[in-house]
Amino acid sequence: MSKNLMSSSDEIPKLSKDLCNRLLQDLERAKRPVLYATKCSLDNAIYNHKVGFFTPGSKKVATELNVSSVKKMSRAIFMLEILLRNLDTGAVNTKRELYYISKGEIKHNPDLKPLDFADQDESDEIIDFICELLECYREELNCYANDRGGQTYSQQLVVTETLPDGDKAVVDLSKLGTSPFQPKNRPQNLKLSAKKKIDFCLIVESEGTANTLVANGFTKRHNSILMGAGGVPSNAVRGWCKLIQDQLRVPLYFYGDLDAYTMQNIFRTLKAGSASSLIRNEDFSAPEVRFLGVLPEDIKKYDLNDYPVKENDAQEVRALKKASDAMKNDPFFLDKKNKGLTQILKWLLEHKRRCEQQAYFTVDPRDPTMPEKIIVEKIKRGDYV
Amino acid sequence: MDMAKKSQPKKSAPATKAKASDKKAAAPKATKTKESAEESAAIQQAKSSSSSKKGITTSSTAEYFSKNLQQVGFSSQVKAVLTTLKEAVDNSLDACEENGILPEVTVTVEKVGPGSLKNSDQVRIRVEDNGPGIDPEDVPKVFGEYLASSKFGRGRCSRGQQGIGISAATTWAQLTSAVGARVVTKTEKMRKAVRCIVEVDIKNNTGVLKEKDSVDWEKPHGTSVEFLIDGRIQLNGEAGLISYLNGTTLVNPHLTLHYKLPEMELHTVERVSNTVPEIPSAVEPHPHTMKLGEFIAHSHLFGRVKVGAWLKKGFSRVHEGTLKELNAAGIKNGIFEKLVDSLHESEFKELFMAIQNIPLMAPSTKSVLSIGEDAMAKSIKRLGAIDFFSVVSRKPTICDFKPVQIEVAVARLEDRSIEADAPVQVLRFANRVPLQFDKSACAIVHAIQSVNWRAYGLGQPKESLPQGPYIIAVSVVSPFIRFKNASKETIDGSDELVEEIRRALIQSGQRLSKHIRKEVKANELEEKLRHIEQFCPILVAGLARITKASDSRRKKAEDGIAKLLGRDARDTEKELKAAHDVLEEQTAKASQKNSKKAAEAEVEA
Ligand SMILES: Nc1ncnc2c1ncn2[C@@H]1O[C@H](COP(=O)(O)OP(=O)(O)O)[C@@H](O)[C@H]1O
Ligand SMILES: [Mg+2]
Repeated sequence: MSKNLMSSSDEIPKLSKDLCNRLLQDLERAKRPVLYATKCSLDNAIYNHKVGFFTPGSKKVATELNVSSVKKMSRAIFMLEILLRNLDTGAVNTKRELYYISKGEIKHNPDLKPLDFADQDESDEIIDFICELLECYREELNCYANDRGGQTYSQQLVVTETLPDGDKAVVDLSKLGTSPFQPKNRPQNLKLSAKKKIDFCLIVESEGTANTLVANGFTKRHNSILMGAGGVPSNAVRGWCKLIQDQLRVPLYFYGDLDAYTMQNIFRTLKAGSASSLIRNEDFSAPEVRFLGVLPEDIKKYDLNDYPVKENDAQEVRALKKASDAMKNDPFFLDKKNKGLTQILKWLLEHKRRCEQQAYFTVDPRDPTMPEKIIVEKIKRGDYV
Repeated sequence: MDMAKKSQPKKSAPATKAKASDKKAAAPKATKTKESAEESAAIQQAKSSSSSKKGITTSSTAEYFSKNLQQVGFSSQVKAVLTTLKEAVDNSLDACEENGILPEVTVTVEKVGPGSLKNSDQVRIRVEDNGPGIDPEDVPKVFGEYLASSKFGRGRCSRGQQGIGISAATTWAQLTSAVGARVVTKTEKMRKAVRCIVEVDIKNNTGVLKEKDSVDWEKPHGTSVEFLIDGRIQLNGEAGLISYLNGTTLVNPHLTLHYKLPEMELHTVERVSNTVPEIPSAVEPHPHTMKLGEFIAHSHLFGRVKVGAWLKKGFSRVHEGTLKELNAAGIKNGIFEKLVDSLHESEFKELFMAIQNIPLMAPSTKSVLSIGEDAMAKSIKRLGAIDFFSVVSRKPTICDFKPVQIEVAVARLEDRSIEADAPVQVLRFANRVPLQFDKSACAIVHAIQSVNWRAYGLGQPKESLPQGPYIIAVSVVSPFIRFKNASKETIDGSDELVEEIRRALIQSGQRLSKHIRKEVKANELEEKLRHIEQFCPILVAGLARITKASDSRRKKAEDGIAKLLGRDARDTEKELKAAHDVLEEQTAKASQKNSKKAAEAEVEA
């Protein structure tokens, strides 16, 4: 099924009912029902640079009903009922809230006791399972994660949000002063426009550094959108970038640390999505985003402080290990269109050094706008990958 | 280091009904343990005897031990009680075994009052047996004289080895409560029993009788010995009396034991075997297992004999051909003609080095004794209610040139009051004597830890003991067990020995896993059946609500799912049956093997 952010509101209930009907029919015939879900892993991830993001291959995971899976299935149908009710009434919940709602249902109906979740991990797993079965996003089931990351600043951007009751809210980002705009998990309800031509969108890995750049006047001096990713991009950040790319058609640049973790877990996810989110990459990746820095050659050019990867830096050591695998079997890094990025990974593997985004601050310690100058210069010169 | 494993060269007959008196007179003695205490006293005695032919000077021996009791098991209040009991029980079992008697032993331990030592109680320990009894004239020697043993370093798998045990207990009693051992004993020939108190004359290493008396005793023969000592009674835990008695019953299937411990009813554990284990005859030490010092000490036991004769008689696997090879290796023939007590240390050294380089046959494994899988299988059920167990008797083998036999029993207890992640209970035995202290350094424990018990269904943290309500019992039987320290509580294991124990454990683990697998299958089936019962109606009801299906559809689906999942349950049932069959087969094979073994044994006999 093709994913589209604007999937009509009754599509999910209909899909669900069809699924349940099929299950019931099989059971009536004493036939073993088998459910298929897309396999979400690297070995089922296809990357084509013309598409720009990971798409699912043909592999499916089959779950058949048997004595061992009957518990999981029963739980899934139980949770699905709660979610369908939410869709019906328009109520939304987080996963944690759904955990408590399910607890409440069971409390009021002792017959359901065997379904009881021991902890939230168990109920989360069931919610994910439902998404896989219906091949839909969690958000389409009115289940939203905490919005995290993506604080955005701009003097030109205007966001129009359609509220559930049909009302429209208009946010002019230039009116927010030093406060950022926080994108939502439901990008489908947002409409973007520019008061004035926007030249580019800069996504900074650290929200703190994004904030510093703005405080020092970045958005005043440049017609731009400046966003802090806040580490590994959440769905909100990913969907937001995709929205900016599609609706505003401005170039996007990513500026973050030079290390294997940032390259694979942050930048790659932003640009092409991830293997574990195969079914949502279409709406949650911005293939046009470019890697502005820190580039390996920047270290020499700007005499930046870099340092060797410490052995006790577990995260980076793991990322390096993953990188050497990625060079061999990650279709994204194998694609020749991404050769420049692969080159950076190779450099990281060879040198085992890293350089942080904040290193631009050493270039001229007395000039707070030095990082801004370097960034803008790099954009102007096409100094990115 | 192993001390000179010497036997009495002139007395080769395995002493049946040997009297303690001729033991002492027959030959000078040495110990065969490595402990400095026993060793130095023994060497001293051996030396003094070879230099002054008559009038053995033993005065220093008793004195030495009375000052060093901590080295032979009296290092704490708790240990004092356990050691005293252990020495007496060991002697009863040894005596019965040597005389082909099925042992029936009654143990009484009671608190009498406060002890004279700080934080101690006065404790009475009585052990009564149906053994052969002790010739009245030997009684003072047995209980009041050190190194008066019938079993001296004879390279046998007896429990007592050198005659320190029971005299040390007498000394402790004397030192802490001013009374020696109270003995009642009667041999088959006697009409009345002798009753007396034996004390150690420490200065002269002789036993002194007091209050000697003649009494009626309904027993045809037997011995009762009672000690009043200062100590502390510890019943529970690995170092407790109960663990000792449990262990003793496990490795002595032929023992009937009655015991009365403080705050407990009188308990009786009936024998499960009617065969008295045959103690194989002694073996001489093998030269390749000795160190130079032991080699020299060994020679002291022989007095004035020619070196050639000493080598041939005093060691196993050394014969005329070996002397020729030694000669070819550069040892002058003249040396063999010399008297052993006139050899210089340099000559000993030369001889020792040469013999180490000559290939010799490994020692015979005939000297070891086994409990047997059958007997152990019966015996283990005496430890308490057990779900299932497995026992493995390895064939006797050679480790580090010493004959050894490993036997293992693993059992799961029904009692689940033990925490699931508590380590298993380990019972260790050296020559059928339970070892209860310094567990962590013991070769047996190292071997247990080296096995991957998870493969057999037990929990086990990395490089640790497995967990759960299990008993793992390991018995090491060898005429030459090497201990790690003076108190003989830890077996010093070479890689070879640890590997041999490990193999036995792996075999028993594999057998055990079949039980565990069957149990897992049974649990699985139960869980599956419960799943069907619980979830089917919920699932169908949920589907029916979402699809707004009719009642008749719902009913039909309920029937359908029950049919469907019932099939799964039947599959599991089949698997359970298969696991059950595997187990049956194993049991059948084992009993077949055992009856075959028994038949073979009969033929041999
Ligand atoms: N209960 C007993 N019945 C018969 N003989 C005994 C008994 N206790 C001890 N003896 C004799 O006394 C000897 C000395 O005992 P002990 O000092 O414990 O030395 P060990 O047990 O090392 O030989 C034993 O070897 C045995 O011959
Ligand atoms: Mg003894």
